[in-house]
Amino acid sequence: MKMHSACVAVAFSLVAGSALAEGTLSLYNWGDYINPEVLTKFTEETGIAVTLDTYSSNEEMLAKIQAGATGYDIVFPSVHMNDIMLKLGLLEKTGINQHPDFKNIDPAFLRAKEDPESEYCLPYAWGTVGVFYNETVTGPVASWEDFFAIPEKTGGKITLLDDMREVLAIGLMANGKSVNSAEPADVQAATDYILSKKAAVSAFTYESMAMLSSGDIAAAHFFVGGNVFFTETPNVKYVIPTEGATMYQENICVLASAPNKENAKKFMEFYLKPEIAALNVAQQFNGTPNVPANDLTPDFIKSNPNINVQGDTMARLQIFEDIGAALKLYDRAWNTVRTAQ
Amino acid sequence: MRRQSVILGLLLGPVTLFLGVFFLLPLLIIALFSVLTPGLYGGVEWAFYHWNYGRVFGWADGITEIYEPVYLSILFRSLGFAAMTVGICLLLCYPVAFWVSRLPQRWRLVFLFLITLPFFSSLIVRLYAWLLILKPSGLLNGVLMATGLVEAPLEILYTPAAVVLGMVYVMIPFMFLPLYGAIDNLDRAQVEASLDLGATRVQTFVKVMLPQTLPGIMGGAVIVFIPSVGNFIVPDVLGGAKGLMIGNLVEQQFLSARNWPFGAALSMIIMSVVLVVLLTAVTRARKRSDTR
Repeated sequence: MKMHSACVAVAFSLVAGSALAEGTLSLYNWGDYINPEVLTKFTEETGIAVTLDTYSSNEEMLAKIQAGATGYDIVFPSVHMNDIMLKLGLLEKTGINQHPDFKNIDPAFLRAKEDPESEYCLPYAWGTVGVFYNETVTGPVASWEDFFAIPEKTGGKITLLDDMREVLAIGLMANGKSVNSAEPADVQAATDYILSKKAAVSAFTYESMAMLSSGDIAAAHFFVGGNVFFTETPNVKYVIPTEGATMYQENICVLASAPNKENAKKFMEFYLKPEIAALNVAQQFNGTPNVPANDLTPDFIKSNPNINVQGDTMARLQIFEDIGAALKLYDRAWNTVRTAQ
Repeated sequence: MRRQSVILGLLLGPVTLFLGVFFLLPLLIIALFSVLTPGLYGGVEWAFYHWNYGRVFGWADGITEIYEPVYLSILFRSLGFAAMTVGICLLLCYPVAFWVSRLPQRWRLVFLFLITLPFFSSLIVRLYAWLLILKPSGLLNGVLMATGLVEAPLEILYTPAAVVLGMVYVMIPFMFLPLYGAIDNLDRAQVEASLDLGATRVQTFVKVMLPQTLPGIMGGAVIVFIPSVGNFIVPDVLGGAKGLMIGNLVEQQFLSARNWPFGAALSMIIMSVVLVVLLTAVTRARKRSDTR
C-alpha cells in the first residue's frame, strides 16, 4: 500500500513539474487515501503542482510533525487527532466555513470538539471498519462471533488489523462497552476476549486484501475501502458486524507551519465541489460528508447498505476519541495480546 | 612531530565531527529522554522520571506505572531469535565461503557480486517477495505440491519459522563477507602440514582452521547479532505481528503509544544488553585463542 502511494507521489511531481509557476502544494496523507485523479484535476484547474507523502497512522504523522518535519501544507488527521493537534497549536485557522459551498457539508460531520464550527478544518471522508469474508468458504457471517468461529468451522484463515485500538475495540464492542472506555476493568475484559480468540487469528496485518483475493485467507478485518478489489467477485462480501464496528472520519487541515497556506485553502475550496468529492468516493469506496456528492457516486456504492450506511446500521458504529492518559491502558493490553502464545 | 599531529588532526577531524553530530549527540538525546516524563500527546516534559526503567526492572508506583515482567521476556525472546539467526547464518556461510575461496579468481568475483546483489533493492520489497513465496498458494507450496512432495500446503507464513527464515535471509551477506575475508586469508600450508603430520580432518578443523578464522566468525556474528535484536520489520511482515519483538515494542512507543521516554528507555536497555553480551563473547573468544 505504502509503496503504491510512493509511486503515485513521484508521478505527480513529474506531471506537475511544468506548472511550477503557480506555486506548489504539499499534502501529507494516509497511504492510498485520495484518488490520484483529484490531484490531477486540481493541478489542471489551478496550475498548482501537488506533491503527496504518506503515513500509516495518526501517531506517526503527529510524531513527525512534532519532531519538526516542515514543508507540509495539508494533513488528514482523524477527528480525535484533529482535536489533539488543535490543542497543541499545530493547525492554522482557514475560515473554510465562510465559503458559499460549505453548505454542501452535512453538519453531522462537524465532529471535532475543538473546532465545532469548522473554522479550521474541513470534513474530508468517512468510512467503516468491518469484516470481509469469502462466502463460498465461510457461509454467512453476521457477527464478530461468526467471524472468529470461521477457522474452527471451515478451516479457513482469518486476519485482524495490526492496530492497537481497532483490535481492542472489537473486544470492547463484543462486551457492549464504548470503544473509548477509560475503565481498567473494561479494557481488561476486552483483552480477555481478544486473548480467547487469538489462537484463531492467523495474523495482524494490513496486507489482507491480496490474501483474500488469492484465497489464502477466508476473512479479514479491514476498512470499507477494500471493496474496490471485490466489485467483480460477488462471493466476497463486506459486513458491519451485529455487535458493532468502528467508523473513522478524517478532516482536511492546514498546518500552522505550512509554507503555502493560500494554495492549501484553494485545495479545501476545490474539495467542497460535489463532483470532486464524488470522484474521490468512486475510487475510495468510502463515505463523504458532502451531501450533493452522494447522488453522484457509482451504483455499486450507492446501492450497497454496508457501504452507503443508513440509519439502523449507523447506530451500531462508534468513532474513536482522544482518551488522553488512558492510552497507557491500551498500550499495556496490546502488549499482552501480542505476546500471548 | 608537530606537523604530524596537525595532519593527524586534519585527517581525524571530519570523522570525529561527523560521529559527534550524528552518533554521539542522538545517543545523548536518547539517554536524556529516557529519564524524562512522557508528554500526554508525545514529546517529553522536562521533569525527572525514573519509572520508565522501573516498569521494566521491577519498581513502579503501581498506579500510573505498573511493573510487568512481559518486557523482560520480550527482550530475552528477541535475544534468542538474534542468537538463532547468528547460528544459522554461520552454519550456512562457513562452508560456502570456503568453497568460494577455492574457486578461480574470475568466479570468486562473480559470487561476491551475487552475494551483494540483494542490497540493490529495498528490504521491504524483498520481504513482500518472501510473503508471496511462502503463502499457502505461493510459489514454494506450488512447487512442493506439483512434485508430490507434500499433499497439503505447508503452513510457514505467519509462524516463528518464517521470522527466522526472513532474518537469516536478510543477514546472510553480513555474515558471509567477514567470514570470506578470514577464510580467504587462511594459511593453507598450515592445513596441509597438520594433515601430513597425522591430525584427522576434525582435529585440523578445530585446531588449525577455526582459530585462524575466528576473527571473521566474531566479526560476522557481531554484525549479524546487533541489527537482528532490534529488527521489527521481519516479524511484522512474515510473522504476522503475532510475536512481539523488542524492536516492535520500541516502534510502538513512538508511533502508537505516544510514550517517547519509555521508547528511549527501552532503547537504552537494548543497547546496554547487547554491549554486555558482545563484550563477554569477545573477551571469551580472545582468551580461548590466547590459551591455545
